Amino acid sequence: MSAFDLIAGVLLVASALAAVTLKNAVHAGLALVGNFLVLATVYFALEAQFLGWIQIIVYAGAVMVLFLFVIMLLFDAKADVGTGRMPWMRPLAAALAAVFFLALAYAFSGVGPVHPLAEIKLAGGLPGPLGRLLYGPWLYVVLLIAVLLFAATVAAVVLVQPGVRGARKKPQVLERERELGEVDR
Amino acid sequence: MSYYLLLSALLFAIGLYGVLARRTAILIFMSIELMLNAANLAFVAFARNSGNLDGQVMALVVIALAAAEVAVGLGIIVAVFRARSSTSVDDLAELRG
Repeated sequence: MSAFDLIAGVLLVASALAAVTLKNAVHAGLALVGNFLVLATVYFALEAQFLGWIQIIVYAGAVMVLFLFVIMLLFDAKADVGTGRMPWMRPLAAALAAVFFLALAYAFSGVGPVHPLAEIKLAGGLPGPLGRLLYGPWLYVVLLIAVLLFAATVAAVVLVQPGVRGARKKPQVLERERELGEVDR
Repeated sequence: MSYYLLLSALLFAIGLYGVLARRTAILIFMSIELMLNAANLAFVAFARNSGNLDGQVMALVVIALAAAEVAVGLGIIVAVFRARSSTSVDDLAELRG
């Protein structure tokens, strides 16, 4: 384990803790950006160069900007809101997270070290070798993701359109409601 | 290499704590992103461990899924805010329109 691993680990855990505990939502979002950037450097260290750049562009760039934009749009910077229906939730959440971590650590303890015979064929995780996989055995996954992204774009536009909230009622339903209203009168 | 797997487990647990303890929809969402990234770190660590690029392809797929999820999720949050003037999950406990 090198010094880089240690520093990256400390930074990752610290920024993640800041992201889930800070009282100001904008601060929490910026901590999350820091977490994503450190994670990108870890990807570089693990021979995943293309993934590292995608992490910076998509996550630290697009996704987090969207988050910060929505936080500021909704004037929702105060993170500690709510009526506190379940005040015992916080310690319970901490206990559950600890138990879950222990379970995961136990599960990972079975994973052996790097197999000495398995040659490393990652090629630095550059776009060329990755693309040969993406457009080879993973082609159907890429197509499905294309459909999903299209559906998500349409859904996002429809959801935030002011005019179409509330289900459109069929003419028959409207007529029936009018009849019922006349009976009530 | 199991160091990064442990780190990914720790990040996932922190994200789980955030999902359970936060009371605002946006911050719960950010904790979910943290959990997705922890899973990605595990994928990349496994790819490095086995010398196989498939793990990195899977991480790429997860990033694309997360982008779609963020678009829809933030759309829902904005729509809910318009209807209720709040994003606190305590105020949204009833499933009435």
